[in-house]
Parts: sequence; structure tokens; C-alpha cells
Amino acid sequence: MTATSATSAMTTTPTAAGVVDAVKVYGSGDTGVRALDGVSVDFPVGRFTAIMGPSGSGKSTLMHCAAGLDTLTSGTAHIGDTELSSLDDRRLTLLRRERVGFVFQSFNLVPTLTVAENITLPLDLAGGKGDPEWIDALIDVVGLRDRLHHRPSELSGGQQQRVAVARAFAGRPDVVFADEPTGNLDSRSGGEVLGLLGRAVRQTARTVVMVTHDPVAAAHADEVVFLADGRLVDRMGSPTADKVLDRMKAFEVPS
Amino acid sequence: MNASVSLSVSSLRAHKRRLAGTFLAVFLGVAFLAGTLVMGDTLRAGFDTMFGNATRGTDAVVRSAEAITTPGESEGVREPVATDLVSTIDKVPGVAAAAPNIQGAGQLVGRNGDPIGGQGPPTLAGNWISDPELNAYQLAEGRIPQRSGEVVIDRGTAERGGLAIGDTTTLRTPDPVKVTIVGLATFGGEDGMAQVTFTGMTQADAEKYLTARPGEAAGIQVRAGPGVSQQELVDALTPVLPKGVEAITGQESAEENTDMISSQFLSVFTTFLLVFSGVALLVATFSIHNTFAIVVAQRTRENALLRALGASRRQVTASTLVEATAVAVTASVAGLAGGIGIAAGLQALFPAIGFPFPEGDLVISALSMALPLVVGIGVCLGSALLPAVRAGRTAPLAALRETAVDTSGASRLRAVTGLGLLALAVGVTVSGVLLSPSLWLAGTGAVLALVAFVVLGPVASTTAVRILGGPLDRLRGVTGALARRNALRSPKRTAATASALMIGVAVVSLFTVFGASLKATMDQTVSRSFAGDVAVSTPSFGAGGSGLSPRLADAVQRLPEVDTAVGLGRGVAEVDGKGRALTVTDPLALERTFDLGQIRGSLRDLGTDGIAITEKEAGKQNLTTGDRTRLTFTDGRTETFTVRAVYGQSELAGDYVITRDAWAPHRTQDADTLVAVSFKDGVSTDTGKAAVEKAAQRYGDPEVQTRDEYARSSAGGIDMMLTLVYALLALAVLIALLGIANTLTLAIHERTRELGLLRAVGQTRSQLRAMVRWESVLVAAFGTVGGLVLGGFLGWVLVKASDGASDSAFAFAMPPLQLAVVALVGLTAGALAGLRPARRAARLDVLRAIAME
Repeated sequence: MTATSATSAMTTTPTAAGVVDAVKVYGSGDTGVRALDGVSVDFPVGRFTAIMGPSGSGKSTLMHCAAGLDTLTSGTAHIGDTELSSLDDRRLTLLRRERVGFVFQSFNLVPTLTVAENITLPLDLAGGKGDPEWIDALIDVVGLRDRLHHRPSELSGGQQQRVAVARAFAGRPDVVFADEPTGNLDSRSGGEVLGLLGRAVRQTARTVVMVTHDPVAAAHADEVVFLADGRLVDRMGSPTADKVLDRMKAFEVPS
Repeated sequence: MNASVSLSVSSLRAHKRRLAGTFLAVFLGVAFLAGTLVMGDTLRAGFDTMFGNATRGTDAVVRSAEAITTPGESEGVREPVATDLVSTIDKVPGVAAAAPNIQGAGQLVGRNGDPIGGQGPPTLAGNWISDPELNAYQLAEGRIPQRSGEVVIDRGTAERGGLAIGDTTTLRTPDPVKVTIVGLATFGGEDGMAQVTFTGMTQADAEKYLTARPGEAAGIQVRAGPGVSQQELVDALTPVLPKGVEAITGQESAEENTDMISSQFLSVFTTFLLVFSGVALLVATFSIHNTFAIVVAQRTRENALLRALGASRRQVTASTLVEATAVAVTASVAGLAGGIGIAAGLQALFPAIGFPFPEGDLVISALSMALPLVVGIGVCLGSALLPAVRAGRTAPLAALRETAVDTSGASRLRAVTGLGLLALAVGVTVSGVLLSPSLWLAGTGAVLALVAFVVLGPVASTTAVRILGGPLDRLRGVTGALARRNALRSPKRTAATASALMIGVAVVSLFTVFGASLKATMDQTVSRSFAGDVAVSTPSFGAGGSGLSPRLADAVQRLPEVDTAVGLGRGVAEVDGKGRALTVTDPLALERTFDLGQIRGSLRDLGTDGIAITEKEAGKQNLTTGDRTRLTFTDGRTETFTVRAVYGQSELAGDYVITRDAWAPHRTQDADTLVAVSFKDGVSTDTGKAAVEKAAQRYGDPEVQTRDEYARSSAGGIDMMLTLVYALLALAVLIALLGIANTLTLAIHERTRELGLLRAVGQTRSQLRAMVRWESVLVAAFGTVGGLVLGGFLGWVLVKASDGASDSAFAFAMPPLQLAVVALVGLTAGALAGLRPARRAARLDVLRAIAME
């Protein structure tokens, strides 16, 4: 399989997160669905990786398991050096708020909190202050300084996603997972959010893992990994929208 | 099946849990109501049977025709009849047997030295009637009294006092009499007549100790010979009876007894319970309304879709109402069954705790079946009506909109209406309390105040939660801030949830304030009008106890430490045709131990034809010193008295005072209710008290209390009442808490995605639980504070209105400690109500919550 050689070529750089022989089965027995069927993949530090694949390929499951939101049936997942399967719910929660950032497709913000409070929510939950200069800089990067005391309901969809990006990076996490972050946005707002993610990786050496089905979004990444039927089928460095689209089309042609 | 109905059925099936709170609220309220009604009927029927059994052998009762009834007493005082009338009656054809019935007060002392009973039900003593058919009590063990000093007592009293056949103890009549128990009796098959204690003695003893003059009895019981009906017997007796004496049938007499128990005890008891089931149901109304309002709000999209697909308004409204009806009917039926169960349980429980309620089958009348059902269903449907109409009004377009956040609570119109109502309420109340005292106005004002509070709730909730939750942000960081903002989310919902608790807490604080005020009033009365050093009284309350020996005051007076000892006895007479309580005492000594205020005339020479009256009563009857007034006594004699003194204060001394000499010809069983003692100069309270205690030992060892102790014990009954009230209100508070828990559960269901997000970005389970709990505490705090304010105000209204409407001056008191306890209980209860919703919220699956669309 081509994927195996691609993986071994990448092991020289340190990894921010990853899974080894990840298997996830939903249900049991004959009705069981293998959402992940022996996936091994590393997300290197300082890289922007996109996970692509058709619906039902297991890309969201992969992200959930790698981020500690879901547990694997077998195999291992790790954030940095920490093996996730050994952690209980409390430790997983603490790990998420200290070392992982999240951007979801929608409903990213707590409606009762202001923009500023949403950004510092993980830090506040941890009871810490974080790094005020870093957060201040983040607010400028996402361009929301004049909206800090607004409620999420007073923001546009694009603005809301930018707040979510700021929150994801506020605690300087090891890795930020983004699940279809532009799925509900028009192309201009989507472009802004993707630009933010890319800049965060390149300028501040953060790690981003993004699940998407949009080739244009995937083109913002440093590398794209392709999933199909719960298996890792390909990796592509320096993607462009056209190359990604071509590769995706290949899945749809029955082999 | 009709479309609305099938929609409701499927909705009910899908959301069983959501309506569990509503079900419980209706269930509890209806069960309480049904239980009260069934228990009331059962007790009444039980007493009927018991009296019927006990007096089955008595075919006629001969007694004085006239009774003098004083205000606040249900049983009149009758003049005794001569016992030798028995021999006349015995000769009347158709009479099989006749026996005098001598009755008085006699309190037994138990094995441990404490008097038995006396807290409410009467403590009776009488002659043991040897004809078993005529005696209401039946000898169960031992033998009947034959020699002086031998008595039969009812088995219930024997058990309570730890007494057995052969024991010797003291009977206070009120003079202590040494008695030996020779037999135990039952009453109508029961161990006793409820909590009433009975001591049966020989006729000679009874005449000696229980009547003012030997040869008199309360009445004469007569048994008819074979073939003579009760009415025939009465007809035969009537011609031979002297003037002023009547004969009534045994059945009439039994009915009178039952009515007396009914009006004295059962009706009060049942009414009391009904009021509290009313409060519980009112609280339930708020909880139920809130549940349906939330359910309808959550279903906006679903209803809008139905409307878009062509369902009519009526169909959507009907489907919600059908759902409410289903809950109402099942909960009410279950509540009815539960109530009958409660009544059956209590019937079994009471004898177990030594309260011999009459046995018998449960009496379930049509009314006690119908009323709880109608009320339960009415409350539930009434509460659901508004939300159902709102459901029908859902615009089809609402299906396309994002679920709206409800901020309609704090509208300007509501604020203005609420404030207007509040101003009106305060205005009406204040004018009803202060300007022209009127209970009616004050009551209207109180109801208006309640309505104003409920209307203002949503407006006030925003500010109140912000203030109450202020410290939370600092104490609990982001968890506290989230809790506070969640509570602020829907002011209307928060207010409605809190309103239920508010009403419960308001009633609790109302009683707390009123109770404290009553105590303060007692205290004020004693400190204002009691000028003595110690008071001797028997610890009794209600109709029980036997009073104090009239010789006690004289004995105490002879002590070297004592300056004045005055005994206050009680008499009754009709003054100007109305029954009045008289204080029988030594007026001169009275003046020295009680502060009577300003006195016109003199108490010195009342003699046998003088009377002293309070200014207030004198004013009412247009009397002044030197005027004459006519007093009719229980023996039927009328005498003219001259008003020799008019005094200012009455609280402890009573409104009418006559001398012992004036009372002596008309007296019944002699007893003082209070002996007030003042010491000579230089005698310390402790020394004096010890001396009085020693002297009192020979007179049945009544309690000797200092002024403070006396004031406190006068208020003892209030604490008992408050305890009962608190126990009954616990149910209303429980229903309110179910409401809070239910609202929270529904809110959590609504916020599933948000909770999932919080968990994803690092909120731990314990933080999530704390957040939900604090929200619950905040809502409870709002309800509690509102309830305290409202209850305090209503308490003030009640005290002031009572002050204006009654003769005696009422003091108003706010008990800070008790109210703080009420507040603490409210908050703790809020935390408890949040426990289950918090646990459920914490069990939430993060992934599913995030994925939920």
C-alpha cells in the first residue's frame, strides 16, 4: 500500500498527535460498522494537515479519537507523548483543555458568554490566566477587538468562526483540531478562517489538523491525508485545489 | 384516532420523563386533598359509631335546659341538677334504671410524676355509674370502685401514664386526691375516647370533689324498660321534671356529643389540612404551567412544521391539551388512590403512636372522590391552557427560524403593570390596616400583593439574579458566571419556577412572623400587666387540665416571703343577655399584682353586688361607675350588680371582675386558673420562688414560674402550632422543588449542544455539575428572597389587621433567626433540587451532544 511508505518517510519530525493501528467499531457482531479499520497516521509538529475523504470514510471518527473526544476499539492514540487510552474521563478533559484546541463546524460558542469570555473559556475553566500578551495578539490576528463585549448572537457566522479559532489557540495547545470549520460559511468568510489557521501554523509554529470535504479548504494545508472506508489510502504534500479534486474524483471511479 | 389525539399520544410516549414532574406535582396535591377528606369523614364516622356504642344503653338524658355560652367556647355551661331527682324518675312508668352523671375536671398524675394529658382534649372525672347499660365506659379489667379513694380509669390513660391496677396515684380536682386504681375501662370498644382521660370514682367521692355542693349532678341518665321507645320515655319524664330541667333522647345526646367533637376538633383539623392542600395545589399550578410552557417552547419547530403542513390552530392547541388531560387524569386518579392510602396508613399509624382514633372502615364519600379529581384535573388543565393556546398560535414560519431565545419576560408593559399593582396592593393594604381597620380590605391587599409579585417576577428576576449571583463569579469563577447567566437566560421561566417556591416560602414566613408576633404579644401582655414576681399555673392548653386549688392562694399568702398572692378563678354569666367570662378574685390583691391601668372608681368595695369592668367593655355597653347591670348565672338566677370600678387594661385580668363572695352562691367546681404572687421587699426571686414551690407541693405540685418563664410558657401553644404548620408546608415546598428540578431537566435537554461544547473545550464533569447546581441555587435564592419579602409583608398585614379588628393590642415582631433558617432551608433545598438534573447533565455523551443537530 502506498500509504505505508509515505508514513515512514515522515517519522523524522516530532509528532504533535497521532494514532497507531486505530480501529473503531460502532455496534457489535454482524451489525457492527468498522468506522476506522487499522489507521496509523502522525500529525507532525508545526504542520497544517487536512484529512479528506468521502462521506462515511471515517475522517470525523479519526479526528474525534485523535483528539480524545472518543475512544478507540483497538490501537492507540496519542497527543505528544501522552497515550490517551490510559486516561480516565477527568484526565482526558484536563488534557483537552490544556493541550488541545477545537473549532467545530457550528455552535462553537457559548451563547451566554461574550466574545472575550468565549476566547478565554478553556483557560477560565482551568482557573488560569494564560498569557495575556499572546491572547491580546490573537485578538488582533482574528480582527475582533471591537467586538469583544458582544454576544455570539450579535456576530455573523464568519465572525463566530474567527472567535472559535482565537479560542482554539488561546491556551497555546499542542494541536488544534478543526472539524469542517468552513462548512457553514460563504467562500469569502471561509477563506478568512482558513487563512487564519494557516497563518497560525506558519507564523507561530502551531499544529492544526482539519477535517474537510472541500478541496479548496484542503489546499490551505501543508499536507492532505485521504481516507476511504476507514483506511488511510493516500497522502499528498503541497496540495492545490485542483490536485485534491482530481484525487477525490479517483475515489468515485469504481476500481 | 383523531389526529390531535394520536399526536399527543406519540408525544407523551416520546417524552415520558419530561412530564414526570407534572405528574408528581398533581399527584402530591391531589393525594393530600383526598387524604384529608377521607380521613375527616372516617374520623367523623368513627366518632359517631363510638358515641353510638358508648351511649346505646342511655335512652334519655335529664339536664338543665339553659346553657350559658361565652365567646370562643362551643360547649355551654349548664347548671347541675339535683341527684335526688333520681328517685322521682325511678317511679315514672317505663323507666328501667336511672343514674346521676357527676362530671368535672380531674387530672391524673402518671407514674413518673407528670400529669397525664391536658394539652388539648379534656381531662374528665366523674362518678362510676354501676348500671353497665347506662355507663359510657365499660369495665374491662378489675372491679368497680366501692370505697372512697378507689377509681376506675380508661385503659388508654393507664397506658400513657404507666399506671396499672393496684397503683396509687394523685388525682387533681384540682385539690390533690389520693386514689387507688381498682379497674380499667374501655369506651365504645376503644381504649379511650380519643385523647380524653377519664377517672371514675364512687358517687360520694364525685360529689365531694367534683361539685361545689354535694347532691348535684351534671345530668341524669335514664334507661327505658322493654317496649318503651326513647321518645315515649322522654314524653313520660317531662311532666315530672321541675322547671328549667329538660329530658332529651339518648340519640340526641349522642349527636350533640359528636357535633361537639366535630366542631371543636374535627372541623378545625380538617379545615386546617384543606387550607394547606390548597397552598400545595397553588404551588403545583405554577410548576405545571411552567412545564407546559417550556414543553411548548421546545416544540415550537415541531408545531410550526405541523402548521406549515396544514394543521389548524385548533388541532395544535388540542393536541397539547389532550396531552395535559392525559397527565391530569392519570395523576389525579393516582393521587386519589394515594390519598386513600394515606388515610388508611394514618388510621393504622395513630393507634400505634398512642392516639386511639376510633376503628372502622374507611369512609369514602362521593364528595371525597369527586372533589380531588375535579380539582386535580382543573389545576392541571388550567395551567396548561395558556401554553396550549400559545402552541396553537405558532406561525408556520417559525419552523424556519432558529429557536428563539425568550426575552419577552422583562417587557416595559409588565414592569408598569406589576408596579401599578404593587402600589395598589400596598395602598389598599395600608388603608385597610392603618386608616380604617378592615380585614376585608387588608385581605384584598394581600391577594393583590401576591399577584403583583407574580407579575413582577420576570422583571425582578434579571436584577435579582444578577445581584444574588454577584458573589458567585468571584467565588466560583467561570462555573459561577455560567450558572448565573443560565439563570438569567429566560427571565419568565426563571420567575415562574421561582414563583412556586416563593409562594411556599411566603406562607412559611407569614406563619413564622405571625407566630413570633403572637409570642411578642404574650410577652408584652405579661410584662405590661403582670406586676407580680411569680405566677403559679398548671401547664395546660385547650380544654384540659384541672386548674389550681382555690386554697393554694391562701396557703401562699401565709408564707413570710410573700406580700400578696391572688388567685384568679373563672366564672360565667350572661351580662345583658350575652355570655361572658368573669374573673373571680380578690379585687384588692388583684390591683397589687396586676397593672390594671387607670382606674375610675374603686376596687375596694365590690362586695357581693359590685362589679369592675374594663373601659372597653364599659364603653360598648354604655356603662360607667355607679350604673347598674344585670347578671344571669348558670343556676338561672339573675342579680343586679353595680359598676364600682372601670379599669384600663384587661389582658390577663379579664374584662369583668367580681369577688369570690359574689360568685360563691352560683359557683360550680372550684378552681383557679392562675395564682399571681408578689414578694415582700428584699426577698429575692429565687428564695421566694423556692418557698412558693414548697407550699404548692401539697396542692398537686403545679408549676411556679417567674415572669419571663410565665410569658414564655403562655406562648408554648404557638410553637406547637408552628411545628404542625411547617410540617404541612413541607409538602408545598417539596412540590416547588420538584418544579425547579423539572425546569432544569428541561433546560438541560435544550442546551445539550452547548453542554457538549463546554465538555469538549475542557469543562470537567464536576464543573458541569456545579454549574447546574448553582443555577438551581440561584433560582431558589430568588424565590426564597421574594417569599421572605412577601411573607414578611403579609405577616405584618395579618398582625396589624388582627390588631385593628380585635380588642387586644398585637405586637409585631420579625424573628431574624427563624427567617434566616427559612432562607437557609430554601437555598439548601435549591441545591438538592439541582442534584439530579446535574447528575444527568454530567452523564451527557460529549460526542453525541456535539453531533446533535
